[in-house]
Amino acid sequence: MDNKIGVFVCHCGINIASTVNVKDLVDYAKTLDGVAVSKDYKYMCSDVGANLIKDSIKKNKLDGVVIACCSPRMHEHTFRGVVEAGGINAFNLEIANIREQCSWVHEDKYRATEKAKALVCGAVAKAKLLEPLEPSKIKVNPTALVIGGGIAGIQSALDLAEEGHKVYLVEKSPTIGGRMAQLDKTFPTLDCSSCILTPKMMEVANHSNVELLTYSEVTGVEGSIGNYTVKVNKKARYVDLDKCTGCGDCVEACRLKGRIISEFDEGLGKRSAVYIPFPQAVPLKCTIDKDTCLMLTRGKCGTGPLCVEACDAGAIDFKQKDEEVELNVGAIVVATGYDVLDPSAMHEYGYGRSDDVITTLGMERLINSSGPTSGEILRPSNGEKPKSITYILCVGSRDETECTWCCRIGCMSALKHVYLLKEKLGDDVEINVCYTDIRSFGKGYEEFYRKIRGMKTNFFRGRPSEVRNAGDHMTIDIFDTTTNKLFEIKTDLVVLVPALVPRADSDEFARILRISQSADGFYLEAHPKLRPMDTFTGGTFIAGCCQGPKDIQDSVAQASGAAARAANILSKKELESEPLISCVDEDLCSGCSTCIAICPYNAIELDTEKDGKSHAKVNEALCMGCGACVVSCPSGAMQQKGFKDKQIKPMIEETVKK
Amino acid sequence: MSITDLTSMGEPQTEQRKEINERLRRLQDEISDYCYQCAKCTSGCEAHKLLELEPHKIVALLKRGLIDEMINSEIIWTCMSCFKCRERCPQKVAPVEILFALKNLAVASGKQIPGNYTAMLQSVLSIGLLQDVKSITTKDNKTKTRTDLGLPEISKPADPTKFQMMLSKIAVEKV
Repeated sequence: MDNKIGVFVCHCGINIASTVNVKDLVDYAKTLDGVAVSKDYKYMCSDVGANLIKDSIKKNKLDGVVIACCSPRMHEHTFRGVVEAGGINAFNLEIANIREQCSWVHEDKYRATEKAKALVCGAVAKAKLLEPLEPSKIKVNPTALVIGGGIAGIQSALDLAEEGHKVYLVEKSPTIGGRMAQLDKTFPTLDCSSCILTPKMMEVANHSNVELLTYSEVTGVEGSIGNYTVKVNKKARYVDLDKCTGCGDCVEACRLKGRIISEFDEGLGKRSAVYIPFPQAVPLKCTIDKDTCLMLTRGKCGTGPLCVEACDAGAIDFKQKDEEVELNVGAIVVATGYDVLDPSAMHEYGYGRSDDVITTLGMERLINSSGPTSGEILRPSNGEKPKSITYILCVGSRDETECTWCCRIGCMSALKHVYLLKEKLGDDVEINVCYTDIRSFGKGYEEFYRKIRGMKTNFFRGRPSEVRNAGDHMTIDIFDTTTNKLFEIKTDLVVLVPALVPRADSDEFARILRISQSADGFYLEAHPKLRPMDTFTGGTFIAGCCQGPKDIQDSVAQASGAAARAANILSKKELESEPLISCVDEDLCSGCSTCIAICPYNAIELDTEKDGKSHAKVNEALCMGCGACVVSCPSGAMQQKGFKDKQIKPMIEETVKK
Repeated sequence: MSITDLTSMGEPQTEQRKEINERLRRLQDEISDYCYQCAKCTSGCEAHKLLELEPHKIVALLKRGLIDEMINSEIIWTCMSCFKCRERCPQKVAPVEILFALKNLAVASGKQIPGNYTAMLQSVLSIGLLQDVKSITTKDNKTKTRTDLGLPEISKPADPTKFQMMLSKIAVEKV
């Protein structure tokens, strides 16, 4: 006996009603076999609409409901609750999407209405055959994983740890701190970056709920919301962390001291093969760079490795190997940060051709007292103090040939530098800022911009087209659109403000995490306004610049938000899972195991009975309902609940017939 | 085929004007609306320092539809077609393309082409090059030809008459 169906058509204001003839659709639905009642309302998702559905279910003793409205992505969840409140199973509901798939994409009213009728007709055919389903329960592992030890990752880890959750904080480089550790001061308050960052680094490292895994990379993620299994490769440091005191004697002794380009100093300084990135590193331990160390690349280092000789603690261990560990967690916060566009791609600006063309991050290292020049502003070419410094903003940003987006921090970081450089070099230093638009949109930013305007800075509104080497200085032609004149700037040091880009390995890492990327390559949020920290993968959240360029304040805010979203899951003992998963018709299954090989979640195993006959068995906690096994099954034994062949086929037939 | 046939078309060519106007309208829709006036084109413009061409302004004028103002001005003839503006524009706007269309429109409207341009055209018509191949003088006052420098010979049209005829055929569409 087929279900008795009620059809409810939503106007969605004028979204549907202006294109689809709702009255016509309601009348048509009444004529369909099995439909006991058909009604419409302006906003079916409102309280009044919900009550209309609930009352109709009771009054007409309905077994199933079809709602013709917006996409199920939008309101299926809402309507399941309504149907359940009406007294029938939440899964005896079928949505006919007559908004996104009909009214929004068609103009012809008559044909749109006919299409809406076909969609409703098919939905009714399926609803008649739907079976009640019960969600299964999943136990939640209350542990969290935070990937990336920059300010966003630190904040998320701290928030989750304070909530009482055990947190693994995995960082790829030898120390936590991220990009913020490279900065000298922060805009617009001019707080010393490390003065506000290092206490957080210490706090997270010493927190009893946090386990820090530095110099480690996530290499695999399996499982799903509530129960992830994560593989982490702890790279060999060739230094015993328990023995190393961070004294730095080995760094001083290293035969390659001052010969390896320092990534942390943006190529403006040199380090040894064994190194501590910066004095406040956490953990304050040495790391041997296996790509440059003579012992590790050639197997010998002069008459013997000097670091071993220098280390009183005996911490150096060239035999150390990478180690793989497995973590079990319930939720993941991804905070992997950003890269800076390599401006040598914009060949006209001379980066890489002239030593005196540097980037904003490079300038941060020059300004910073623990940087390569101990905080003195010196031209990389000759070590002299520059008399004139020129900033070029939007290098590769807002650019259809490089990065179409705004980097959101370039204007403010350049303005901040103007202040710091005037402080360091005196009022006499000439500072030119070539800008396209100054975007000082945050709290206190415009006020800061005004302050810099008053500091005798030459603002040129326009973009230079070329930086030319002219012997001991550089020249830049810039057409200033505020005066309508071409200026030739002679300058000693050029600072490019490059675009922020997704990390080089972000594509590969997105695949490991099974999360999506937007067209620009940054990780994609589930909804740009309402779910900015969620991904489409349940239990995996994003924070900071991996989602898109942002400043420290926004990164921290988003990181706390992501932690709260993760805690939402971790604080529950169990979660209800969607019952729309696969099931096996054991009589039909031949045990061929095709589905086992194809399942991406390892949710199917082979069950052998006493009589020796074997068949597939679905682990309901692991199945995500992707449907891969269903389509691969040669005998049709594998079916997806709520989408069984016997439910879908009549739906297709009826839709097409109409 | 004489030079006059190519450069002063005498009567305004209505059909062609229509076609070029259409081209300009397309350029306006496709590119000039996206220009945010950063003036990177003008900062690097080879014709700006001496000849005061401001490509970013050309784009702005097109955006406002002030086409007559431009085709009546000699400034459009100063573009050297170096294509740097197109190469470096962050918004893929190409002032050089607009300038081509404006020059075509000026000719089709029967405007006079500046004298230097005519001389250049004459040279192209007669030898296939803007100017004949020259030797250079080095710092130490030695004269060098292309052969001395190991550079290949520059090819010239084998049959000048045929070349001129073909060129005029194209020139009906583009200067």
